[in-house]
Amino acid sequence: MYANEYLTGEAELAEYVRPRSLEEALAIAGRGAKPLAGCTDLFPATDRPALGGALLDLTGVEGLSGITRTDRGWRIGAVTRWAEVAGAALPPAFDGLRAAAREVGAIQIQNAGTVGGNLCNASPAADGVPPLLTLDARVELASAAGRREMALAEFVTGPRRTALAEGEILTAVIVPEPAGRGAFLKLGARSSLVISIVMAAGRIDVAGGRVAEAAFSVGACSPVAVRLPALEAALAGLPVAEAADRVEAGLVVPALSALSDLRAEAGYRAEASVVLIRRLVAGLTGGAA
Amino acid sequence: MTYVLNLTINGAAQAIALDDPRVTLLDLLRERLHLTGAKKGCDRGQCGACTVLVDGRRINSCLTLAVSLDGVEITTIEGLAEGETLHPVQQAFIEHDGFQCGFCTPGQIMSAVGLIGEGQAGTDPERIREGMSGNICRCGAYHGIVEAVLDAQATFQDGVKRKTA
Ligand SMILES: Cc1cc2nc3c(=O)[nH]c(=O)nc-3n(C[C@H](O)[C@H](O)[C@H](O)COP(=O)(O)OP(=O)(O)OC[C@H]3O[C@@H](n4cnc5c(N)ncnc54)[C@H](O)[C@@H]3O)c2cc1C
Ligand code: FES
Ligand code: FES
Repeated sequence: MYANEYLTGEAELAEYVRPRSLEEALAIAGRGAKPLAGCTDLFPATDRPALGGALLDLTGVEGLSGITRTDRGWRIGAVTRWAEVAGAALPPAFDGLRAAAREVGAIQIQNAGTVGGNLCNASPAADGVPPLLTLDARVELASAAGRREMALAEFVTGPRRTALAEGEILTAVIVPEPAGRGAFLKLGARSSLVISIVMAAGRIDVAGGRVAEAAFSVGACSPVAVRLPALEAALAGLPVAEAADRVEAGLVVPALSALSDLRAEAGYRAEASVVLIRRLVAGLTGGAA
Repeated sequence: MTYVLNLTINGAAQAIALDDPRVTLLDLLRERLHLTGAKKGCDRGQCGACTVLVDGRRINSCLTLAVSLDGVEITTIEGLAEGETLHPVQQAFIEHDGFQCGFCTPGQIMSAVGLIGEGQAGTDPERIREGMSGNICRCGAYHGIVEAVLDAQATFQDGVKRKTA
């Protein structure tokens, strides 16, 4: 349970370890232990007795939770819980991420589930991904062999697939100082405690009455949440009053390759995406749709 | 390997030895400690019947590894009343018919205590409903539950005012 001996590689790996330092955590991860944080994805998805092998509990590791401002932008520790994100004092560009945090399950889930767990689980319906994509987030990964960093868009490689290598853990999400204001909208079969059928996030920076920068993303539609470059290019430079009317299916739907599953048909998802995006643009440019 | 954790449960400090680190807090409470107030409705985070407070935060005990909780303070429904005197939230659930079969009730009450502690819900019934959305009631006693939470919250604020006055 106490982990110093793992650094030397001499100890036999216990079934469960909750280390205090990142160095210890990485040594344990390197020996094949399964990382866990809030367990809100891991438990419902696993038959607990079948949760075989050693478990690496990340919730006690110093420096892995909390939100701080650094000279490279905002740093969200991987083990930061959604409840903390929802209540954090962050610039308006993060409003979409904070709104998404309040929609992850219910408060009981937000008090346990973490940002890192949401990204590493890589569900197509992970509510954290679209707002972080619109913030141009990068992820910081670490293993006993060293650290590396990549864009979040490259990290999530498919449904339940990520770029994490054997023995590697996600340590933080880095968001460079983002401009403008963000927003998030989620469509589910009811209003609370529900998996998204479609969710959309947007961020718009307005200067001189025009859209200076636009970033939009749709999730739960395709195997991996996507950014919408065609829409972003079409909105850039428009007077704010014209922005919402410019949103049309041709700028959104081709980027999605929408899926059909038990929650919705592809056609419904595509149509709903366009409606959500139009509402986001209207809200972010001060109009109504 | 045996894992020893030190917990405070409903005010009493306890040292608990676990042989299996995969035991959830819910199973520990119900099967080892015979605190059967927290209920196992779904065992996957979806119903809230297992809600307890960990250091004042409400969580689903079915999704929590007991072994990860070394050093924390846990409050369950059994820890709310003081002797024969019910906790104001318990009292309010009775007065407002906040239950029918009662299966979800311990979770509802613990969630309501957590919600009031968070101090975010205000007096808007819609925000109470949203704040309580992690607790499902199959009997549909939602109307009484919201009334009970509003009433209990008012009682608390009243009490705080009187204390500070
Ligand atoms: C009832 C219910 C409702 C939910 N509703 C929503 C919802 O509305 N929206 C939504 O997006 N999600 C929802 N979820 C899913 C879940 O709560 C979130 O995805 C949460 O953020 C997962 O975080 P966690 O810390 O609990 O992850 P865990 O379950 O601890 O871990 C998930 C996976 O990631 C790995 N992992 C975790 N942290 C790291 C790390 N730092 N490095 C490497 N690997 C890591 C684990 O090995 C595991 O495979 C819901 C879950 C439940 C039970
Ligand atoms: S039993 Fe834990 S949420 Fe249903
Ligand atoms: S009172 Fe029966 S489930 Fe709520």
